[in-house]
Amino acid sequence: MPDKSAFSRRRFLKTAVGASALMAAPCIVPASALGKDGAVAPSERIIAGGIGIHGRGMYDVQWIMRHPDVQFVAICDLQKKQRLAVKEYVDKHYGNQDCAMYPEINEFLEVRPDIDVVVIATGDHWHALASILAMRAGKDVYSEKPSCMTIAEGRAVVETARRYARVYQTGTQRLSEPNHVFCIEMARTGRLGKVHTAYAHIAPWDAAEMRHDWLPEAPEPPKDEADWDAWLGSCPWRPYNPSYVSGGWRGFYDFHTSCIGEWGAHTFAQAQAGLDCGESSPVEYEYVANDSGDGMVTHFANGVRMILSRGEKYWYGSCGERFDGPEGWVAAADGYTQPDVSSPALLSEFQRVIGQYVARTGRSLDHMQNFLDCVRSRERTVANPEVMHHSMTTVHAANICMWLKRSLKFDPVKEEFVGDEEANRLRSRAMREPYVY
Amino acid sequence: MWKTHHTYLVVAAALLATMTTLAPAQEAELLAVLRSDATIQEKSTACRELARIATHEAVPTLAALLGDEKLSHMARYALETIPDPSVDAALRDALGKVQGRPQLGVIGSLGARRDGQAVPALAALLTGADGETVQAAARALGCIGTPEAAAALQQVLPGAAGRNQTAICEGLFRCAEALAHAGQAAAAQAIYDDVRAVADAPAQVRVAALRGAILTRGQDGIPLLVEAILGPDYALAAAAVRAAMESPGPEVTAALLDTLPKAAVERQGLLILALADRGASEVLPAVLEAARSTDQQLRVTALRALKRVGDASCVPALLAAAVEGSAEVAPAALDALESLQDPAVDEQLVKQLAEAQGKTRTVLIELATRRRTTAAAPALWQAADDPNVEVRAAALAGLGAMLDTADLPKLIARLNVIHEEPEAVALDNAIRAICLRAADRDAVATQMADALQAASEPAKPRILQTLAVIGGAKSLDAVAAAARAEDETLRDPAFQVLGQWGSADAAPVLLELHNTIQDERLRSRAIRAYIRIARQFDMEAPQRAAMCRTALEVADRDADKRLVLEVLLRYPSDEMQAIAEEAAQFPALKDEAMLVVAGMASQGINRAELGRALAQAGHQPVELEIIKAEYGAGDKMKDVTAELRQYAKNYRIIFLPNASYNESLGGDPVPNVAKQLKIKYKVDGKEGEVTLTENAPVVLPMPK
Repeated sequence: MPDKSAFSRRRFLKTAVGASALMAAPCIVPASALGKDGAVAPSERIIAGGIGIHGRGMYDVQWIMRHPDVQFVAICDLQKKQRLAVKEYVDKHYGNQDCAMYPEINEFLEVRPDIDVVVIATGDHWHALASILAMRAGKDVYSEKPSCMTIAEGRAVVETARRYARVYQTGTQRLSEPNHVFCIEMARTGRLGKVHTAYAHIAPWDAAEMRHDWLPEAPEPPKDEADWDAWLGSCPWRPYNPSYVSGGWRGFYDFHTSCIGEWGAHTFAQAQAGLDCGESSPVEYEYVANDSGDGMVTHFANGVRMILSRGEKYWYGSCGERFDGPEGWVAAADGYTQPDVSSPALLSEFQRVIGQYVARTGRSLDHMQNFLDCVRSRERTVANPEVMHHSMTTVHAANICMWLKRSLKFDPVKEEFVGDEEANRLRSRAMREPYVY
Repeated sequence: MWKTHHTYLVVAAALLATMTTLAPAQEAELLAVLRSDATIQEKSTACRELARIATHEAVPTLAALLGDEKLSHMARYALETIPDPSVDAALRDALGKVQGRPQLGVIGSLGARRDGQAVPALAALLTGADGETVQAAARALGCIGTPEAAAALQQVLPGAAGRNQTAICEGLFRCAEALAHAGQAAAAQAIYDDVRAVADAPAQVRVAALRGAILTRGQDGIPLLVEAILGPDYALAAAAVRAAMESPGPEVTAALLDTLPKAAVERQGLLILALADRGASEVLPAVLEAARSTDQQLRVTALRALKRVGDASCVPALLAAAVEGSAEVAPAALDALESLQDPAVDEQLVKQLAEAQGKTRTVLIELATRRRTTAAAPALWQAADDPNVEVRAAALAGLGAMLDTADLPKLIARLNVIHEEPEAVALDNAIRAICLRAADRDAVATQMADALQAASEPAKPRILQTLAVIGGAKSLDAVAAAARAEDETLRDPAFQVLGQWGSADAAPVLLELHNTIQDERLRSRAIRAYIRIARQFDMEAPQRAAMCRTALEVADRDADKRLVLEVLLRYPSDEMQAIAEEAAQFPALKDEAMLVVAGMASQGINRAELGRALAQAGHQPVELEIIKAEYGAGDKMKDVTAELRQYAKNYRIIFLPNASYNESLGGDPVPNVAKQLKIKYKVDGKEGEVTLTENAPVVLPMPK
């Protein structure tokens, strides 16, 4: 495919290097479009598109557009008003009318081979399928959390990313934020002694129990306004109600992963990273007789525990995690100016710990920058598919534990519950054609 | 009869919601629902439950629904999880009987269940005319992943095009992965090679085929890897680099090192990062050499790679780059120097700092600061007396980063002599950093309190700010004493510091100051700071309520009392609403206090008592008519007259069922944009109009 960029290759390289330098991120070589059709030179900017961009998605789009080496060119959304809203923002940002709009994902992916990366921020139930379709079309993916609705979906994302050598980052941005990185590294490197317990925050609203009812049927809007069948995607059919498409899908079994998934998608990844179990999952889940999973103790094969916590006993603010070891504890949550520690002396290591993390991993402390760096270098991101899949497996298993109201044992290698067929049957859901992977 | 079904389904839905285990006998009842004239929702609910508990007994009933356009998916939803071979037989049987979407679904379920016996039937579909069917069959065969499934896909690959081609390739990749997992690497390799030979395959397919071809060959894949890296196709080169990252072992490392000098510059950058990713020590010379490249971009890339693979041997080159490099190279070099974990780096740094001059010295000071090299402290003390103010400030910053409390007096001693920025700022920050790291905060607070007594006038506010940073009882005592002082140069900054105090323990001090000081301006500052604490800090609800009552009672100015209303709104409760009603007794606060009452009532707090509260505050029932209401932004206004009318009663305050306008007024007319609600209305026959910002309490002013 001919290079349509108006920017010279060298100019791009300077821009990219300069931008990375400003953010103290590892700069990587050129390239970008990854030479979609091979024998021609790669284009000179990372060309980005969006799929299902709503509330949080707009933040992601604004975030990626702040990087000067990124050009956002297209929005795919099955809701017309969302397409228009994103186009309006993007066009205003660039001062042109160039942001293209697409209502249907397969067509979008097929007719835009020039797009290198996509930001996915659909409703939760579309995250995995959209990611898989995009990666299968050769795109690198930044997907909002939670990344999958079932253990089987998470596995499919992992396999697709590997198969097509794609770069994938989940929007669990706290994995890149210094306060959380500090806590994770303090725990991981033994500075607290051998950590025995991590606490992970679950959302203080909603419940683990999910809704299965249908909202009252309302007349479906024209397909061009909002394609209801496509919105449902692989989920069971139900009649249209406008509440679903304006955010009212939360709390429903088909579309949401409960209060546990709402924040656990972030905090389990944070806690598991500190426990050095980022690419594994607990082997045991202890049922708790409440409506949220608050206090559920999960056990990893190496003997450490992760406890789900709904309140603010271990932190203040949202999406917190805490690590307890024999030599102290550390905690962080949103809004902290610095991590909370059992002793001020632990904080004296802050810069050194962060520096060692950067030296060890080469990763940026800007989550989006880490993704873009990896798009160029082809390295694995901090919230790569394996990390996403294993923390989300913990989410799903904890939910299943609460739904079945009994403790469960899990084999993270085979990815199956031990001796519990009923639990195993909840690992996947038959997909509704043609919204399949 | 179906009445009982309906009743049952209500129960079943409730049970489903809690996901309790149902007895096997209940399977029969769920199946009876499916065989009845129940609604789609009821049958769908039954299928959902059967997905968890159904046995082979359920298969015939569910299979009978596979051709039903509306229930086929839910039938598969239940069938897919049943661990019984009769499901596979039923799906195979249905494959030839159902059409359209139901058939696509059956194909997918056969794949999901990895039914090897379905291969012939699925293979037959690969040559059909319907593209969606071909693609579904290709993916399903891939899931099954047997040699037979792979053979069927390989057979149709050469003639395939477009979406069919990519689906067939996807199926083949799945087969290859299954075969490789089963130890049949040669068969997997053959599949990848077949796909690589497809000339018109899209880039992502060629990428996947190359990656697989390299990985399944093991060490024998290295020539393929090298060829791709050096070849003209950037996508394949990137795929090869990715494959290298997935291939541990010294042979691949050696191959990458050997390829590096032969590759074009932009490929060299990619290789440098791949080498850094391997972390092996033998890659260091190559990366270091690239860090000296004349190509600016390659150089920066290599400098950053050195963060991961560098050691003390890199210091001279990195230091030279940090001192002499361009605006892009120098920071990258400094970053790399900071990240090097080798302790010998600090030894070199200290040695060079003792002798360095000019820019080299500045860079080394910054580096010592960033690395917190305590051995560099003597050199930094020396630099702290340098004639150049920038050097002095940098040295003080470094000392603040690395010293402990034993050295605090030496820095405190400088407070009375250094008053000019940036040196004074650096000194204050250094002292604060050391204090914050102190294990005994009260001890350092005592030192600073003593320093305050002896401080020069310009230093006093800075020391008070430092006490605020340290916090704790000792600091608070010192600042409170300063606030009570006659000396205005001490008192004013002390009040300023108390106004920003970082914890709730300052509240009693502020109240005491308010109650004992005569100066009206300072009294107001004290009570405002007191209210700020009630607003901002975590405390028990009764304590917060008591503070609000106290502030309302003692504050001299209406403007200060008004700040209490913000606290009430932020922490809605029965008690806070009661305090708002009390606040409404102050004439100047009446309307705003009632808005607080109304705002809480709209959240369900004491709604039943609202009429009484409104009457008490002078809001009498009126005859209210909503003429027109529009909600939206700009020219995108939605008519919400009907929605609003249903909530309008006989007060000038309208309570919506939800605090969100979007939820209450039928959706979001303009997403991601701040909206307005415009209302035209009549109160007792007089026409009025109001425009409210999104989600504000709906209070209609009395028309004039």
